[in-house]
Amino acid sequence: MLLETIKKDFIQYKAQAEQGEFLTLREQAFAEFEKLGFPTTKHEEWKYTNLKSITDKTFQSTCEIKSLVNELFNASIESKLTANFLVFVNGSLVHELSKIIEQDNNIVISSIAAARKNNQTIFNQHFGKYAKVEGEAMNALNTALLSDGAFIFVPKGKTVAHPVVIFNISDASDLNVLAQPRNLIVAEESSSVTLVETYYAVGSNASFTNVVTETYAGKNAHVEHYKIQQQGGESYQNNFTQIFQEADTNINHVTLTLDGTMVRNNLHFYMNGENCNSLLYGLYVTDEKDFVDNHTRVDHAKPNCFSDEKYKGILKDQSTAVFNGKIMVHLDAQKTNAYQRNQNILLSDDATVNTKPQLEIFADDVKCTHGATIGELDEEPMFYLRSRGIPENVARKLLLNAFADDIAEKIKIPELVALLEQQIDQKL
Amino acid sequence: MLEIKDLKAEIEGKKILNGINLVVKPGEVHAIMGPNGAGKSTLSSVLAGRADYVVTGGEVSFNGKDLLDMSPEDRAREGVFLAFQYPVEIPGVSTTNFLKTAINEKRKYLGQEPMEATAFLKFMREKMELMEMDKALTSRSLNEGFSGGEKKRNEVFQMAMLEPKLTIMDETDSGLDIDALRLVSAGVNKLKDGERSFVVITHYQRLLDYIVPDFVHVLYKGRIVKSGDASLAKELEVKGYDWIKTEVEQEANA
Repeated sequence: MLLETIKKDFIQYKAQAEQGEFLTLREQAFAEFEKLGFPTTKHEEWKYTNLKSITDKTFQSTCEIKSLVNELFNASIESKLTANFLVFVNGSLVHELSKIIEQDNNIVISSIAAARKNNQTIFNQHFGKYAKVEGEAMNALNTALLSDGAFIFVPKGKTVAHPVVIFNISDASDLNVLAQPRNLIVAEESSSVTLVETYYAVGSNASFTNVVTETYAGKNAHVEHYKIQQQGGESYQNNFTQIFQEADTNINHVTLTLDGTMVRNNLHFYMNGENCNSLLYGLYVTDEKDFVDNHTRVDHAKPNCFSDEKYKGILKDQSTAVFNGKIMVHLDAQKTNAYQRNQNILLSDDATVNTKPQLEIFADDVKCTHGATIGELDEEPMFYLRSRGIPENVARKLLLNAFADDIAEKIKIPELVALLEQQIDQKL
Repeated sequence: MLEIKDLKAEIEGKKILNGINLVVKPGEVHAIMGPNGAGKSTLSSVLAGRADYVVTGGEVSFNGKDLLDMSPEDRAREGVFLAFQYPVEIPGVSTTNFLKTAINEKRKYLGQEPMEATAFLKFMREKMELMEMDKALTSRSLNEGFSGGEKKRNEVFQMAMLEPKLTIMDETDSGLDIDALRLVSAGVNKLKDGERSFVVITHYQRLLDYIVPDFVHVLYKGRIVKSGDASLAKELEVKGYDWIKTEVEQEANA
């Protein structure tokens, strides 16, 4: 049972941890986790997502790293990019594969472990301030038992010249493995950074990744954040991202879920200043018995902000997808513009989508729309293509690629988009 | 080329075509006119193979092959082209990619090698010049955000690219201003080569000033009730459709 592993891990961790603020924070988080326990389907936010197949297993938190990992990294599309690389295997940094090419010494791209030593002030100022632990069992668990993760600090006015790839591999060659990565991104005023957060798995055993990312965007900062999930084998992932935006910030967040037995994404935006732009785009392509759940929450807390959300899904076989998008327009948030769409194409009679777009509006001068569709490919475009001599299967492929590429193209790294579109094409 | 014999079709149990007979020979231009609801669009849909229509009787042969037995894509690859009344917008599929796929699928069907990228682009450039197409349109998504006139011109451009033997134009003139109408018609006229045939379906005579038909047929209540030459279209323009309706009623009562 997972719970027992976790308790043992925490006792072990406490025995060797230094006293101090960090330990206190983690003890509190663990107490919160113990109080809450793993979420069950009785919990409204977890209605469709049953963690039982995870909690019934035992997982090891550490594991010897195999050569498969190098092969996987070198074969990946992300490794082809001119970028900074932070590579984590089962939540621990792998120095040999990590490579920082950023020339500006004021910009920090490192592990959380290193940041706790070298960038204490910034770290303490931001760590655990955005991803809520109270009432959030999985965040509490991550905070209590986080392994390592990426720390990125972009000082005022700086731009990180190349993307930062946070490359996560679960190596389940020998045993079931548990990884709890934790990322902290601090982009100060008028700074700019592009992140590529990516997940893979190797090995024939099960892997469980419980990751939390906190992003702080200072005034007028610009953050591009691309999340690419393609963990093969029996893999489970709970991904929580909290983005905290000051005034005039631009955030473009794209989530592509192309593989994984069970993936639960929780993406939260909090707009704490005026004139923010928040873009949330997602694509999930599921097959076999895969399960993907995207829960998003956008808090319009201040006036004159814009958010645009579009999640699309293509479901095959007996796969299931959940979309739950909540837009909260707070009392003060006049002149809010918020858009939300969820579009699904079912390619099989046995595939299931549960979608729930939600708007909660407390201000009176706002423009908000939301909607969801579930269906098959439209007949009209299909007939049009066929009437030009394109056979049905080719026409279907063209239309599905177009549907999916619309989201992939929200990523602003053209060479990555081209490679991803090839992968999507293979999956369809 | 095209031989329609006693064609009957219905949609959702409603009889629309009640026995159409029509023979189109190579190089001929036939106009099919008629009041709203006569079955004009149904005829083009049935010939192109739209699934919603059920053929309940009759036969259609195209160059000796049973057209009704073929899938829509096979009809196209055999050389039938339908210019849509309402061309569909397809976001995310570029006109270039779409046409390249269509041409190479046709070549594959005919047992020919696919056209290479450079040869294709050269071919497309030639046809664009011929049809006076704006270059920008081909890099955009298919018909997405196109004006009514641009969509219809894109249909004619596709026709030029796919080089069909038989083109069925379904109310191509609807919603076009006079300049767009001229451009579309000029495009069609450039493609006439004495071998290609055209079936032009229209409500108004206007289009036929530009694309001059060899034969004009009047469709009413799902049947061709009158046939003549181009002068019949002029007569209809002056007198409207009521006299035809009266004639048909009188015949029925007689």
